[in-house]
Amino acid sequence: MALPTPLRASVTPAELELIASEQLVEIVPLVAMERTAFISGAYGPLRPPTKCKVPIWMATNLKLKKKCRVVPPDWLNVEFLEGRLTQETSEAGFSEMPFRFAEVAKVLLDVAPDDFPNPDKIRSLLKDIREARQAKSREGLSKLDHSELSLPNLCSMEINEIRPFFIRAMGVLTDLVKEAQPQQDAP
Amino acid sequence: MCASSQSDDVQLLRADPDSSEEEHFRIMLVQTEIERVKFVIRSYTRTRLYKIEKYARYIVSTPELHEKLSKAELDHAQRYARLVEYHFNQTVLQSLPSEQRSLDDNAHFMPSMVTQPDKLRPVFVHARQACPPVRLPDGSALTMPKGQISLTPYYVVEQLLLRNEVELV
Repeated sequence: MALPTPLRASVTPAELELIASEQLVEIVPLVAMERTAFISGAYGPLRPPTKCKVPIWMATNLKLKKKCRVVPPDWLNVEFLEGRLTQETSEAGFSEMPFRFAEVAKVLLDVAPDDFPNPDKIRSLLKDIREARQAKSREGLSKLDHSELSLPNLCSMEINEIRPFFIRAMGVLTDLVKEAQPQQDAP
Repeated sequence: MCASSQSDDVQLLRADPDSSEEEHFRIMLVQTEIERVKFVIRSYTRTRLYKIEKYARYIVSTPELHEKLSKAELDHAQRYARLVEYHFNQTVLQSLPSEQRSLDDNAHFMPSMVTQPDKLRPVFVHARQACPPVRLPDGSALTMPKGQISLTPYYVVEQLLLRNEVELV
């Protein structure tokens, strides 16, 4: 069997995390390294204490060996997230978040909680935002028809979450329309 | 190919007793990336293999698709399709009345025995740029501005996807 059944319908959260780890994040290195060519591009040189942009996977690796500090992205702090949460609860649409914010936030908070001021507050804000947005996705289901549903500002993890159900639902609606049409033509 | 030649380099460097601690450290990072790339390639190949086996007969009978497959993939599709056909014949079809023995017959109210891609299946698309209008199943037009995310049947956005104006997410 080429692909186990759970992997067929959709990507898994772990795979999304792998994809998101290709994004760049700023670090303060604690160890020096010459500029090095990698498959995805050249990174470095690392010169403590100058900030440097590296992929998240590299930052994770360095952080776990205590060889760097992660500089939090400008959207991953208490003020910004509080602002977004207010928007999320007061406005009908989804507020604008980085496309892979859920994955990036999880990876960074998991490996480098000590580099964030108030990581627990950030976690709880992220959770509140997630729940507010989830409620909106569920409402979106009532607008579903057989032709198109527009989902501005929806993020990758959220798309992945609603994918199986929404696709199935739209498929059923398509079938219903297909079956209804010949009857309209008949009389 | 790239990953394997890098792997060789890494082995060479590792074996070199003169390499410094900084070099060891870089080697470790390079090795980590190689593992990531390997994982992606493996997933990609497995997914293609799954699709090839699922649509084997359809692929074999649709020449336009052949150029999208590597030689090994096409060979596999052909062998797999032959095997399945032989199996169907041996187990069921040869015992049926002769007019029902073909795999290609289009009986009404029955799904086809040759699995075909379902272009009605909805997909999530993300507009990489402003897109020209496309026609929706309900007859209206859909014009996606840059950055728009939509859920819509695959055939609606097929052309946009081939022109790289949208991506599946």
